[in-house]
Amino acid sequence: MIKGRHWLAIWLVALLAALWAVIARQTASLNAARALTDLRAQRAGLEGRRDELERRMRTAGSRAVLLPRAERLGLRLPADTEIILIPVSPPR
Amino acid sequence: MAKPAVRLGVVQIGLLAALAALVLRAAQVQLVEGRRHAAEAAAQRTERVVLEARRGMLSDRHGTALALTQETYHVGIAPNELRDPRGDAALLARRLRIAPRELDRALRRRYAWFAGPYTSLDVQPLRAVRGVHLEAVLRRFYPSAEFARAVIGRVGDDGLGASGLERLLDSLLSGTPGAAVVLKDRAGREYESPARVIAEPTPGDDVVLTLDAELQEIAQRALDDALDRMDAEGGDVVMLDPVTGEVLAVASRHRDGTARPSAFTETFEPGSLAKIFAAAALLEHNRVRATERVSGEGGSYRMAGRPTPLTDEHPLPSLTLADAIRVSSNIALAKFAARLEPDEQYETLRAFGVGAPTGIEFPAEAQGKLRLPREWTGPSSTSLAIGYELSVTPLQLAAAYGAIANDGVLLQPTLIREVRDPSGAVRYRHRPEPVRRAVSPQVAARLRDLLRGVVEAGGTGERAALANFQLAAKTGTARRVVEGRYAPGQYTASFAALFPADEPQIVVVMKIDNPQKGSYFAAQTAAPVTRSMLEQALAARTVALDRARLSNVAPTAERAPLEEPDGLVPYVVSVPYAPDSTSAQPARAVPDVTGRRLREAARTLHRRGFRVVVKGWGVVHHSWPAAGASAAAGSTVTLFAEPRP
Repeated sequence: MIKGRHWLAIWLVALLAALWAVIARQTASLNAARALTDLRAQRAGLEGRRDELERRMRTAGSRAVLLPRAERLGLRLPADTEIILIPVSPPR
Repeated sequence: MAKPAVRLGVVQIGLLAALAALVLRAAQVQLVEGRRHAAEAAAQRTERVVLEARRGMLSDRHGTALALTQETYHVGIAPNELRDPRGDAALLARRLRIAPRELDRALRRRYAWFAGPYTSLDVQPLRAVRGVHLEAVLRRFYPSAEFARAVIGRVGDDGLGASGLERLLDSLLSGTPGAAVVLKDRAGREYESPARVIAEPTPGDDVVLTLDAELQEIAQRALDDALDRMDAEGGDVVMLDPVTGEVLAVASRHRDGTARPSAFTETFEPGSLAKIFAAAALLEHNRVRATERVSGEGGSYRMAGRPTPLTDEHPLPSLTLADAIRVSSNIALAKFAARLEPDEQYETLRAFGVGAPTGIEFPAEAQGKLRLPREWTGPSSTSLAIGYELSVTPLQLAAAYGAIANDGVLLQPTLIREVRDPSGAVRYRHRPEPVRRAVSPQVAARLRDLLRGVVEAGGTGERAALANFQLAAKTGTARRVVEGRYAPGQYTASFAALFPADEPQIVVVMKIDNPQKGSYFAAQTAAPVTRSMLEQALAARTVALDRARLSNVAPTAERAPLEEPDGLVPYVVSVPYAPDSTSAQPARAVPDVTGRRLREAARTLHRRGFRVVVKGWGVVHHSWPAAGASAAAGSTVTLFAEPRP
């Protein structure tokens, strides 16, 4: 036969368990939120890095940069007489 | 002195009254004002925040990003929270690129705020610093700031498109913002708890433009170099794919430094570039034979009704129509054009799109000027034949020359190639959108032959000639209109070219305003610059040229026919901003334009391949043939209009 104080203990344990479950879930969600924030920041950082590298590649490959350097090396743009297009057979 | 029992009764009544007041007040607070107080409490504890949607990307036809959205940051610093104020300050000064003294001054305040915006690379080392608070904001970023700037436009401070395509495509690009609820403490600071997302933001659509980044760079550099070398006031270059109507490059530059898309928005008198349209009218109406000659009049000829004589720079004794185009003879063209009725001349110019906006997806496109024949004066017919008394934008000219390249079919030029949703699925893809047939395929072929002669020995466009590839082109040197008057000694040099002459792949229109150093003639200015651009395009790796077709063998890629056997357009698709909804129907029926304004109705019919005659003014009352009736392509639909009730 469960006495009154046992009931009290059971209720107390149940209450503590419920509180623990709530706190554990909140802690887990906070950790997940922090991890998510970190990942988002990482992704934004990587995207920013990619965009910056693309911009630098495009600038480096632009005619404004390449042509003066090529001219210093004695290179020049070909005239149309120097461009040979090899005829392609039509598909059968 | 009252008895104790009475005093006790009074106290009890007082207590009861106080208790009743408390109960009533509690009831008022809970029952009557409960909702309001609950809302106030929620507002103090929570805050609804807007989750910005990422704006869609603009890219060129090969996928090169032209405008994209990046996450950037504002930086807030709470000096009293810094663990190592001296070391942290040095790091902050370095990452935020702020002078140490200025940062020291800022850190003496309770809270320092730096708007930046700073990139994620800048702030990455600051994330671990206690006391540094980062606020993420989305910012529009243009990897090549000067790339087609006037066409692409910019977004305003509010994040919405403010000009150019950014403005026009704003509804597509901007996406839908989301919303979330965050928890706050008593001081109003957000808790570091997960936000409750009410609605996820939907990113905007990505738009692939028709521009070709490499051709664009070639055009911009060539224009810059030419304007600097010639000390010109400004200029424009338009490159167009005549088979699809796609604009491949568009560059505009002005001496005053303004970034105006003048290739779309500013008109000029094209001069000799318009002579080919007079030739088109003569050929279309069979008013001239190939061998027929007119006298060159020794280079000066006074026509009835004209106050000044017509002159030619390099007169020939006698000229055929081909000679007249080849040497750009004003006198011969004027004599030939005198055989045309005003209506015939007007209709041909209209058929090539003169005096009507092209319909490109760009805000504030200019429509140019072409007066009705009843408003012409005596010399108007001659003036129009040699490119005066009308005005066009460089884009209109490119579209009109594109029609000559495209077997006589005028296409609506476009800047939009594809629209993709955030998952990458294609929501819209451009298909060639015919406006109307300007001339028959046979006449278009004859016109290309005439233009081919311009680039041959003795032609005005000789300096544009390429050794291995045939070009069809026309030069134009016209007096320049400034503030409504011809400015003495000022000229506009322009050049239009179809490359190559057979099965043209690119139409180039170049215009140079008031070149002051060296010659002002297009033959010496715009023509050689165009040749240089074409040579660079040939040498480039990724430009939109089909080299298989260029290699002078039988075409390997079959061009999609623009017309079905009976001569009507195969389909007309709606572009995202399409002003009329009826054009998406593939049916050959006359569209119902009843109740529409005349301009809108005429435009709808033009896009379906019909010619339009207007009776009356106001809104359309009915048409003949009636709405829904079948009519052949190129036939005339008469609109009967009545004043708006």
